[in-house]
Amino acid sequence: MIMGKENYLLAANVAVWLGVCGYLLFLAGRQKRLERRLRQLETLRED
Amino acid sequence: MTGILTVLAALFLAASQWFIWAYAPVEETMGLVQKIFYLHLPLAWWSFMSFLMVFVASIMVLATGKTVWDRLARAAAELGVLFSGLVLVTGSLWGKPIWNVWWTWDPRLTTTLVMWFVYAAYLLIGQAGIGGGRAFAVRAALGILAFLDVPLVFYSARKWRSIHPTVFGSQGGGLDPDMWVAVLFSLVAVGFLWVVLLRIRFGQMNTNERLRRLFMKMTDQG
Repeated sequence: MIMGKENYLLAANVAVWLGVCGYLLFLAGRQKRLERRLRQLETLRED
Repeated sequence: MTGILTVLAALFLAASQWFIWAYAPVEETMGLVQKIFYLHLPLAWWSFMSFLMVFVASIMVLATGKTVWDRLARAAAELGVLFSGLVLVTGSLWGKPIWNVWWTWDPRLTTTLVMWFVYAAYLLIGQAGIGGGRAFAVRAALGILAFLDVPLVFYSARKWRSIHPTVFGSQGGGLDPDMWVAVLFSLVAVGFLWVVLLRIRFGQMNTNERLRRLFMKMTDQG
């Protein structure tokens, strides 16, 4: 398949922002995990 | 502080889009596709900065024995792998319409790919727990050794026969002054993004370590 030059530019921009958004999602996942561990710790302290 | 930096990153990224699409002129030979450059170069520069940070933090790990430096090095390595991975992808998408190939074993491209693999291995060592209780020292040694490839990437296009252009050359890379403005703005914008992401990830790693210690302390007491 032959793409126009502009399509390569679009693909590059999409790739960069997908990469950045993917990393933000990864950070959000890690944040959720930290909050879960904090809740576990609070439960442990209450026991 | 992270909040202010996030706002600044968003503002600069929005402004850099205006500079890229409205301010910078369209390059005569390559046309619109040359605008990939305004993402490609800042990502490359900040990936170098990430790996420099891994190098310095790794030295500090071995010098002080403090694991906080290991966490900083790992946070920086994650960003370095992400940014250099995006450099490889954007480079390939730029290379296809201009060089007519997705990939070529050019010195600059090859050393960049090697750099990406080395730092990906650095992160995998952290995941796999290689080295047991001294894993941070093993990572620090690799973090120092891995940096040997970074100057090679930088100088490869200057020292060896390469089809990859050098932007920061003696003639300024042949860039129009308006293009320089867009490049510099993009560099600052991606820089703010890099600082924000690094602060968040480093903060998460520190919190995780504090929770782990608290957890151990409480289970020991129980």
